[in-house]
Amino acid sequence: MLAKLMKYEIKATARIFLPMYAVLLVFAIINRLLNPFHTFETQGTFNLQVLLGALSTVLYFILIIAVFVIALVISIQRFYKNLLGDEGYLMFTLPVKPWQHIISKLLTAVMWYILNGVLVIISGFILISIPEIDFSMIIDTVKTMAMNMNFAAILILILVQLAAGTLMIYDAIALGHLFQKHRLLASFGMYCALYMAQQLLLSILILSFSFSWFQFIIRSTDPTPTQLNKFLIFIIIPGIIMGIVHFIVTNYIMNRKLNLE
Amino acid sequence: MSSLLECKNLSKSFGPVRALDKINLSIGRGRIVGLLGPNASGKSTFIKICNDLLTPTEGEIFINGHKPGIETKKIVSYLPDKNYLNDWMKVSDIIDFFSDFYQDFNKDKAYDMLSRLGITANQRLKTMSKGTKEKVQLILVMSREAQLYLLDEPIGGVDPAARDYILDTIIRNYNENATIIISTHLIADIEKILDDVIFIREGQIVLSKTVDDIREETGKSVDSLFREVFKC
Repeated sequence: MLAKLMKYEIKATARIFLPMYAVLLVFAIINRLLNPFHTFETQGTFNLQVLLGALSTVLYFILIIAVFVIALVISIQRFYKNLLGDEGYLMFTLPVKPWQHIISKLLTAVMWYILNGVLVIISGFILISIPEIDFSMIIDTVKTMAMNMNFAAILILILVQLAAGTLMIYDAIALGHLFQKHRLLASFGMYCALYMAQQLLLSILILSFSFSWFQFIIRSTDPTPTQLNKFLIFIIIPGIIMGIVHFIVTNYIMNRKLNLE
Repeated sequence: MSSLLECKNLSKSFGPVRALDKINLSIGRGRIVGLLGPNASGKSTFIKICNDLLTPTEGEIFINGHKPGIETKKIVSYLPDKNYLNDWMKVSDIIDFFSDFYQDFNKDKAYDMLSRLGITANQRLKTMSKGTKEKVQLILVMSREAQLYLLDEPIGGVDPAARDYILDTIIRNYNENATIIISTHLIADIEKILDDVIFIREGQIVLSKTVDDIREETGKSVDSLFREVFKC
């Protein structure tokens, strides 16, 4: 059933993401053809070519930001509208457990975030395929970073943060749903409250560990890879715990306190 | 025979408002039941509780021996009084959706009814009128071979000509062991198909009888009895 739910969730969201990716790639190619960086370097004066180049570059970067903003908006809208709006009348009368709804929405949202990242990197590669400009410096920097840091740990950290962040939004919406009126406003208020509570907890954690387990990272001026890994693990674990807590609360509300208007 | 739907002291409050007040009911199989009451009498609330969309404040409800949940959702086919379909989907997409999730969904039946009503399957819902959307929803709900059909205001938004077709569809598409509960305030239109009636007012059951008993005891039609009971 989870697979079926995800199939429809991907279907419902793909019709927005796929055209968006197409636009992103087209813009990367346009930028590659206009070659604005080359124009900026060779043209001394301001002219139409420079203006076009500048415009297409700016648009490209706006597009990259837009892709992520839209992914965020869609993840909120799918949860709010498809589960707790009128469409919820269909979704919650399917012979499916509420946790399967939450997980199918979560996995699909995280999947799109990852694909967003992949597409942005691909479009970046299209851009830097410009032969005139030397990007070896950037590649070298990335290489040194890769050697010093544990890439797997960073990837896990990103995934955990994405999932925990999305679950916190779901939790806020579910908590807002407990109100009889002004549910959208209540959800927003709940998000602020959850965010503050989380920051407070994290600060307490950091403070209480900063003199013991956590001290090595503060003391060292040039942390070794092992120390960095230890630090990464330190921030991954609270993320996992937060995610689990948000999931449990959301699931409880959907199981026991569901009140569709 | 055990009853299909059973409520014990079922109550639901929204803040200070009591939408359902200690409902006790037992509905058997093979009945067409009219859940009749004025606006805001608790009809929709009751049906939503049956569908696990609302949680009761007090009391219990059992459908086929189970509390509302995954087991009851497999055998209950629900028509809400809202449009719950995605606008961007085609009718054929939604039919696939239903047959993917409901084992008792009969695809052939759905396509048959669609063609009889002149609705093309590759039409998007966005392009449909409100009445057509309601018809599509009813077709989906009645294409399931469910044990309990819960229809909330199934004829509210369509013209009288379509009403007859819809009622016809309802009667033709259910088997003898299944029960249909129809909530409405348009009594005259559905009176002829009902076996039982339940009158509900301010969350309380005022009357629960078979149509035959009502005619015998009072000599009145359900419609005129309703007007008498709910006289303002």
